[in-house]
Amino acid sequence: MTEGWLAGHVPGALKGLHVDPCVPDAACENLRAEVREFLADALSGYPAAARARHWSAADPAFSRRLGERGWIGMTWPRRFGGHERSQLERYVVIEELLAAGAPVAAHWTADRQSGPLLIRYARETLAARIVPGIARGETFFCIGLSESDTGSDLASVRTRATKTDGGWLLDGAKLWTTGAHRAHYMIALARTAPRGESRHAGLSQFLVDMKAPGVTVRPIRNQADEHDFNEVGFERVELPDECLVGAEGEGWAQAATELAFERSGPERYLSGMRLMLEMLDAASIGDARARVALGRLVAHYATLRQMSLGVAGLLARGDDPGLAAAIVKDLGATLEQSLPEVAHELFGGAMPAGSTLAEVADYVTRAAPSFSLRGGTREILRGIVARGLGLR
Amino acid sequence: MTAAAVPPGESRPAQHDARDDSLRAAIERSVQRIFAEQVDAAARAAVERGEWPQRLWRVIADAGFAAAPARAAHGGVEASWADAWPILHGIGFWQLPLPLAETMIGAMLLSMAGAAVPEGPIALVDEAPGSVRLDGVPAAAVLNGQASRVPWARHCDWALVSIGDAGPGSLALVELKQDGRVRVVAGANLAGEPRDEVVFHDARCALRIEYPLPALDAPVRQLAAMARSAAIAGALESLLAQSVRYARERVQFGRPIGSFQAIQHALALLAGETVAARTAALVAAGSAPSIAGAAPGAAFDIAVAKLRCSEAASRGAPIAHQVHGAIGFTREHPLHRATCRLWSWRDEYGSDAHWAERLGGEAIREGSGGFWPAVTRRRFGER
Repeated sequence: MTEGWLAGHVPGALKGLHVDPCVPDAACENLRAEVREFLADALSGYPAAARARHWSAADPAFSRRLGERGWIGMTWPRRFGGHERSQLERYVVIEELLAAGAPVAAHWTADRQSGPLLIRYARETLAARIVPGIARGETFFCIGLSESDTGSDLASVRTRATKTDGGWLLDGAKLWTTGAHRAHYMIALARTAPRGESRHAGLSQFLVDMKAPGVTVRPIRNQADEHDFNEVGFERVELPDECLVGAEGEGWAQAATELAFERSGPERYLSGMRLMLEMLDAASIGDARARVALGRLVAHYATLRQMSLGVAGLLARGDDPGLAAAIVKDLGATLEQSLPEVAHELFGGAMPAGSTLAEVADYVTRAAPSFSLRGGTREILRGIVARGLGLR
Repeated sequence: MTAAAVPPGESRPAQHDARDDSLRAAIERSVQRIFAEQVDAAARAAVERGEWPQRLWRVIADAGFAAAPARAAHGGVEASWADAWPILHGIGFWQLPLPLAETMIGAMLLSMAGAAVPEGPIALVDEAPGSVRLDGVPAAAVLNGQASRVPWARHCDWALVSIGDAGPGSLALVELKQDGRVRVVAGANLAGEPRDEVVFHDARCALRIEYPLPALDAPVRQLAAMARSAAIAGALESLLAQSVRYARERVQFGRPIGSFQAIQHALALLAGETVAARTAALVAAGSAPSIAGAAPGAAFDIAVAKLRCSEAASRGAPIAHQVHGAIGFTREHPLHRATCRLWSWRDEYGSDAHWAERLGGEAIREGSGGFWPAVTRRRFGER
C-alpha cells in the first residue's frame, strides 16, 4: 500500500489549480489571420517605441475601428450591441492586439470588465443604453476601486453613497484610477451601509457619469512619465436610482467577479513583449549566452500562452477561472519583470544611445514595477492561491 | 473546450480527441488503482540496493502499460501520448522505480516500424553527441562505442540505440546480454535509479530502423524528454500535495505553519511552478508523435516542456524542503525520493540549458517578426 504521505492523494486532487490546454478551432485561426491582416495595415509605420507603450496608449479612432470590425464586446448578446462569438474567438483577437502592440488603452477596461459587469448586474434598461456604445468603441470606462487608504484591502473603501429620494449622493475620492481622464463612465465601489459583522457587507457598485457635476479628475504622472492614472473626487455627486449596479450591499462579490475578469486575460503576460522582440533582433546568433537566456524566455512565453489560453477555455466552459487566473497573472508579471533584467544582463552598458532597444528597455524597466501591483498585487494573488490550497 | 477542431495546415488536433478521452480515462483509472496500491517503499528500496523489482514489473506489464503505445498486433492499444499521460505523470507522482516510460517509447518506435515488441523492459540510448557508431556491412551491422548514464540498462534485455553518425532518427535494436560484446557498468543518479555505462564492442544489431518520425530530428531524445517532462510535473504535484499536508499538520508557535503568510506564499509559488510544468508537459504529450498521429509542433512543444519543467524542478524542490524543515532532510522521510528525482530528471535527455540554447537560436534566427507567429503556431520556421 501507498505510504502515509500520499495516502488519500491522487494526481489532480488540487483540481482548481489545473489549466487544461485547449486548441483554438479553425474558425479562431481564420479570425486570427483576419486580425493580423487588419493590424498590418492599421499599424503600418507605427514605431516600435510606441508599440512598447501600447498598454497605456489610448487611440479612440483605433478603438472605433475595432468596434466597426466587431472586435469589441465580441461575446455579448446582440441586444447589447455584442456579436455572440465564443470566448476563444475573443481570446484570439485580444492576444493578437497585444502581441502587435496596438494602442488599446481607450476601450480595454470597458470591453474586459465594465461591459460584462453591466450586462450581468445592471438594470436591463441601463445596460441597453450604455453597453452598445462600448461595443462600438465609443464609450470608455475606468475602474473605481482603489482609494488613498484602500489598496489591497478593498473592503476598507471610504467613498460612500447615501440614499436620497429617487437616487444616491456620492462623496469621497478614488485613487490610481487608470484612464479616468478619458473615460465616460466609472464603475465605483462605495459604502452604502456601515460595516456589519462582515467587513465585506454594506458595499455597492454604481455607474458614475464622469461629466456629472461634482466629479473632478486630477492627473498623476507615473515614473515612466506617462499620464495614465488619476485621482478622482466626488462631491455630492447625484446618482439616479438606476445607477445602482446589482443589488445594494452586494458590491464586494460583484467586484470580486470583476477582478477575476481583470486578471484572466493575456495582457498579464503580453504587456512588455516588445522588449523581448527587440532583444531577439539585437542578439547575435553566435552568442551562446544570448541563445540560452532568450531561449528560456521563449519557453516561458510559450507556456504562459498555453496557460492563458487554458483560462479562456475555462471561461468558455463556464468554469470559475479565479484560481488559475491568479497563478497566470503572478507568473506573467514575473516573466515580464524579468525582461529588463535579461536586457541588462545581455546588453547592459552596451545599448547604443537612441537605439530602439535602448528606448524600449528604458521604458519597460521603468514600467515593470507596476506589473505586480495593478489588478491585484503579487501578495494578494499568492494569498488567493494559498486559499485555493486550503491554507486559509 | 472539448472536441478541438483541426487548425489550418495541421493533420490532426494537437490535443486528444473524443476517442482518446475514453481511452485516457480508462488508463487514468487503472493507473490510480495500480500505482497507488503497488508502488511502495519496499520496491523503491530494492531498486536502491541494485535489485530488480520483478513482481512490480509483472503487475505493470500485465496491466498493459508498457506496450500501450504499440499497435494492437504487437500487444498495444495504440495509445497516443495524451492517452498515456496518466502513466507518464504517475511515474513522477508515485516515483515508480521502473523503466516504464523508456519501454513504452521503445515499444512504440519498434511497433511503428512493424517490428514485434520484445518481452521485458527496453533501455534507450539517446542522441547524445559522439556516442555510438555503426560498423560492418548492412546485413551484419555491429555497434561500437559507449553510452553513459543509460537508464536501467543493467536490468534490460534490449536497448534501442540512436546511431549518431547515420543521420537523424537512425535506430538500432541491440540485445544487451551479449557476452564480451556489450559491457554494462553500474551507476546511479541522485535518487538511486540505475544510470549505467554501456560499452559496445562489435555488438550484433538485431534490427535497424530509419527515420521513423519526421516531426522529430532526435526522436529518442525528444520522446524521452517529453516523458521526463510529464514525470517532473507528476513529482512536483506530489511535492505540492506533501508540502500542503505537512504545512496544515505541523504546529509551531501554537498554530499550523501553513497559517503563516511566509509559508503560504512559498507554497503558492510551488503551486505556480507545478501548474506551469503540468501545462507545458501536457501540451508536449498532446503533440508528440505516436501511432495515433503527429502534430507539426512536436519539436517546439517538447523543447518548451523539458526546459520549463526542468526550471520548475529547480525552483520547486527547495520550497518543499524549506517547508518540511529538518524532518524532510532525513533519509527516513520520503521527501528526498521526489526531490532527488527532480534534480536528476532536470538533467536527463537535455537539461534546461540544452533546450534553451536550441529554442533561443531558433528565435534569434527568426527575429522579432517571427516570434509571435512561432508562439501561436508552436513552431519556428513558418510565418
